[in-house]
Amino acid sequence: MLQITNMVKKYKKVTAVDGLSMKIDKGHIYGFVGANGAGKTTTMKIVAGLLKATSGKVYVNGIDIQADPGGVKKQIGYMPDFFGVYDDLRVDEYMDFYAGVYGIPADKRKKVCDDLVELVNLKDKMDAYVDSLSRGMKQRLCLARSLIHNPQLLILDEPASGLDPRARAEIKEILKELRDMGKTILISSHILPELSQLCTSIGIINAGKMVINGTVDEIMQRVSVNKVLIVKVNGEMQPAVSFLKEQPVLCNVTVSNDQISADFNGDDEQLARILAQMVERKIPVISFREAEKNLESIFMNLTVGGMKDAV
Amino acid sequence: MRYNPVIAKELKVKMRGWKSPALVTIYLGFLGLIVFFYFLTNDQISRYSSYSFNPRTAVNIYNMLAIAQFMLILLITPALTGGAISGERERQTLDLLLCTNLPTFSIVFGKLISSIAHVLLLIVASFPILGIVFIFGGIGLVDVLLLFAFYIVTAFMVGSVGLFYSSIFKKSSIAMVMTYVTLLGFVIGTVVIMYVWTFFTMRFGGNPETNPALILIFMAPNPFFGLASMATWSSGYIDIFNIFYELKRIFSDKTAGWIFTRPWLLNITFNVLLSGVLIWFTSWKLKPVKRKKKKKAGYQS
Ligand SMILES: Nc1ncnc2c1ncn2[C@@H]1O[C@H](COP(=O)(O)OP(=O)(O)OP(=O)(O)O)[C@@H](O)[C@H]1O
Ligand SMILES: [Mg+2]
Repeated sequence: MLQITNMVKKYKKVTAVDGLSMKIDKGHIYGFVGANGAGKTTTMKIVAGLLKATSGKVYVNGIDIQADPGGVKKQIGYMPDFFGVYDDLRVDEYMDFYAGVYGIPADKRKKVCDDLVELVNLKDKMDAYVDSLSRGMKQRLCLARSLIHNPQLLILDEPASGLDPRARAEIKEILKELRDMGKTILISSHILPELSQLCTSIGIINAGKMVINGTVDEIMQRVSVNKVLIVKVNGEMQPAVSFLKEQPVLCNVTVSNDQISADFNGDDEQLARILAQMVERKIPVISFREAEKNLESIFMNLTVGGMKDAV
Repeated sequence: MRYNPVIAKELKVKMRGWKSPALVTIYLGFLGLIVFFYFLTNDQISRYSSYSFNPRTAVNIYNMLAIAQFMLILLITPALTGGAISGERERQTLDLLLCTNLPTFSIVFGKLISSIAHVLLLIVASFPILGIVFIFGGIGLVDVLLLFAFYIVTAFMVGSVGLFYSSIFKKSSIAMVMTYVTLLGFVIGTVVIMYVWTFFTMRFGGNPETNPALILIFMAPNPFFGLASMATWSSGYIDIFNIFYELKRIFSDKTAGWIFTRPWLLNITFNVLLSGVLIWFTSWKLKPVKRKKKKKAGYQS
């Protein structure tokens, strides 16, 4: 449905997106996660046709965005991270306006708008002024607006930001409904747990680069097989590091701050043996523990590490 | 004309409620009062002077109203259009329009029409009052229609200047100020430039007599020049600004070239061309992704 290859976006000085590639299959909900300033909004704006990529290719449903931007726009419903509403318009007028903008013929507009307003549970607010709606209602209204032309791909930039848990849950329910309707959804967030139950695929972006992506199952699998071993030593770390690097059950031995971490693929017995050998070699171990690696911790590791590189 | 959702929405909001009717009422009342008092002070309503009515009075009123309305257009339109696009950006609703397939031309044109709608409404509504002067003679219907056409073209010109700045500057206030400055350039700047030019050409051995063609060229963008030369054109015996009297005399003397007797045509042409260019440019500027005509091989920008 959506394919991005090697996309680069440079603003005057900053490189906001740096060789990003991703692929979303039809019917998937793709969670696009990254810290503030990672380049999520920039990526989404390019796909929505609001920005021009410096280089790279974007295909939506097989259509090249550069060759036929109009054709792509027909397929995309975009909800920006920040958006305004026209005060002085009622909900039905607001929807009617955008239906007109999207070129829905006058005789079909009312039906389309009514159905969508119903979908986002704003039926009883039909006559209210848009300005008087709560934040969550406005968010839902904007979601309904992005659906007016029946797009196949939805691009939602932090649709749940600034909402309370209840309003978040409401949005989530609507998104599930949309998924069941067969829409493909690209949804961004800087909070991973928010997406993990909802999404089928996840991509984590950091400093404009895709760090890890795949289906939620794939990522979870990688995560649950590998555990992380975290070791702290008193004083010189080098002997400990070189010892750990020799161990066949350990890989990716890294030093960050004052602790050594390594991906561990084995059982408790092996773990105990490693500790015993370290003590035998008089390595001053002060802490030796195994950490659960969940999506959250991967995210934290990846983004924190990346930021250090960037600075 | 094709349905333009921007116009439909803006007009719906603008004309809703009591504000627009109130505005029209107050404006017309104001114009009516001017007319009434003018007649009163000139002793035209008095019972005894009804036989000595001087059509000149009616023409004077007409000219006064013509100028007053014209000033109104020049003063109000920048304020109405300067925020049309920058306001949309400030309110964060512009992206929602740009991510649709609505051509940017429709956005710009819709904004232009709906922004000057109030001005157009006032102009059209004032037609009967200006028409009062028919009763007394001296002004032909052609004059009034021509004047209204001139108003509308001028409103479009000022509006597209406002829209142009509105798309360039992020802040509405700056766009408005720039529009006023540009208008000032058209009104006063053209005169200054013309005199400076004549001064220098005279110093360097040019023809000391003012060349009418030159005046026309320099004055083409000047809205008041257009107004002055056309206000009561078909009846022909009134010149609302005395400063233009001399020019007009020169033009009338000139037998060659019909443009010399209708300088306002030049001004209208200028306005139409400028509006066209600015609307086109603003639409182009708004397009988020501009397509290049030809892509150079092996080079990616
Ligand atoms: N118009 C712009 N001009 C210059 N730099 C920009 C512009 N927009 C974004 N950037 C830069 O591009 C980078 C990516 O920004 P972007 O808004 O895409 O991040 P994000 O992932 O959406 O962050 P957030 O979670 O805060 O929304 C940032 O470093 C930002 O400073
Ligand atoms: Mg963002």
